[in-house]
Amino acid sequence: MNAQAAAPEAEPVVRAEDVRKSFGENVVLDGIDLSVSMGETLVVIGPSGSGKSTLLRCINLLEPIDSGRIWLEGEEITAKGVKVAQIRQRIGIVFQQFNLFPHLKAIDNVTLAARRVRHMSRREADARALELLSRVGLQEKAKQHPHQLSGGQQQRVAIARALMMEPRVVLFDEVTSALDPELVGEVLVVLRDLAETGMTMVVVTHEMQFAREVGDRLLFMDDGRIVEEGIPSDVLDRPKQERTKRFLRRSLQMAHSLEELSITDQGEVE
Amino acid sequence: MHVLASFEWSVIWDSQGALWGGFKHTMKAGVVGIVLAYLVGLVLGALRAHRIPILNQLAASYVELIRNTPILVQIFFLYYGLPVLGIHLDVFTVAWLSITIWGGAFMTENFRAGFEAVPQRLSEAGYALGFTRLQEFLYVTLPIGGRIALPSTINSAISVIKNTSLLLLIGYPELTYVANNIQSNTFRTFEMFTALAVYYLAIVWTLSALIRFLERRLALPEAF
Repeated sequence: MNAQAAAPEAEPVVRAEDVRKSFGENVVLDGIDLSVSMGETLVVIGPSGSGKSTLLRCINLLEPIDSGRIWLEGEEITAKGVKVAQIRQRIGIVFQQFNLFPHLKAIDNVTLAARRVRHMSRREADARALELLSRVGLQEKAKQHPHQLSGGQQQRVAIARALMMEPRVVLFDEVTSALDPELVGEVLVVLRDLAETGMTMVVVTHEMQFAREVGDRLLFMDDGRIVEEGIPSDVLDRPKQERTKRFLRRSLQMAHSLEELSITDQGEVE
Repeated sequence: MHVLASFEWSVIWDSQGALWGGFKHTMKAGVVGIVLAYLVGLVLGALRAHRIPILNQLAASYVELIRNTPILVQIFFLYYGLPVLGIHLDVFTVAWLSITIWGGAFMTENFRAGFEAVPQRLSEAGYALGFTRLQEFLYVTLPIGGRIALPSTINSAISVIKNTSLLLLIGYPELTYVANNIQSNTFRTFEMFTALAVYYLAIVWTLSALIRFLERRLALPEAF
C-alpha cells in the first residue's frame, strides 16, 4: 500500500542474494533472492516446510546461513565480524508461539530490552510502552502476566514488545497460527494498522484474506525457492505456476467447498 | 513408658547454654555453606547449561568427584590431607569450605537442570530483542530457570545443614559435637539426642518454610 511511492533507486530495507540453508541433507532455502522496500508489506505464503519461517529466522540471524548474503539498509549483516546483537535490535520479529517472558508483566515484557539494551530509564520506557500497549488495545492489561492473557492478547503484547525497539523492519512468523479462530481477527487488525503507518513488514501467513487486503506484494515459496511473486490479488486469483495453483487449490480458504477436494493415491489433497 | 517416666528434663535445661552455643556454630557454618553453595551452583550451572568449553568439563568433573565420594572423606581430606601438601586450614574454614564444596556440586546440577529447562524459544525471543549472550542469561534464562530450579535446591540446602553434624569429627563445636560431649559426661543419651533432634527439626523446618515462601512469591504459571 505504501511501497509504490518508493523511488526506484531507494535502498531496500532488506535485501537477500542467493541465500542457501540446509539442515543436514534437507535443503530448506535453495537460493533465495529478496528485496523489501521501505514501507512495504511483503506477504510470504507456501506449504509448511517450504522454508518460509527459516527465511525469517535467517534474516534475523537466528539461523546462520550456509551461503549467500543479506543486507539491512545497505549494510551486509552476514559479513564476518558484524555485531549480531546490535543488528537484531533493528529487526523486530514476532513468533508463532508469542514467546513472552512468563515471569514479567505485560509492560515489563515490552520495556525489558529497551531498559537493558538501550539503557532507557524505567519512567521513559514505561511511558512509551503504555503508548504502544494502547496502540494494540491493551493499555488496561499492562500489569497482567502473560498467563493471565488470552493468546490474541499475548500476541499483541509481543507485537508491542517488538515495536518498542523501533525496528527498521518487523518479521511476522505465522503470528496467528497458534490462535483460536475467534482471536485471529484482533491480531490481524493490529498488523493492518501497523502496515498503514508505513512500517516495513515481512509477513509469513496462511491468512489469504489478509494477504490480499494488506499485502503490497506476495511471494509464494515451495521447496526452499520463490516460485512466484506479484501483486497479491494477481497471484491469488490468477496464479501462473502449476505449483502455486495446486497450493491455492489445496488450501481450504481458497476452495469454495470441501466437496471440491479429495485425497489422491499419493495421499495429497487435490 | 519406663524411659519416658525417667526422662530427665533438667539435663536439657542445664545444657541450654552449651546447646545454644552449638546451634550458633551449626548456623554459622550452615548459612555460609548454603549461601556459597547457591553461588557456586548458579555459576557452574550456567557454565554447564551453556556448554562453555573447558569450564563445562571442569565443572562436570567436579560434580562427578563430589557426588561419588562420601562427604566425610572430603572433610577428612581437607582437614587431614591438605596439611601434607603444606596447606593448613583452621577448623572453621574446613567446616564451611567442605559443605560448600559438597553442596555446590548438588546445586550445580539443580541449576543446570533448571537453566536447561528454559524453552529455547524464550532465549530466542531475548536474542531477537538484541540481547548479548550475557544479557540473555541475566534477564531470561536466570530468572526463569532459577525459578524452575528452586524446589530442588531446597533439598540440597537441607542436606547441607544436616551434613554439618559430620563436622563433629574434626572437632568443630557445632550442635552434634556439643550434645555428644554432654551425653558422654552425663550418660543422659536419650535426653540429649532428643534435644538435638528438636534443634535440627526446627532449623530444617524454618529453612524449608523460607524457601517455600520464596517459591510461592516467584511462582511461574504451570504452562508457559
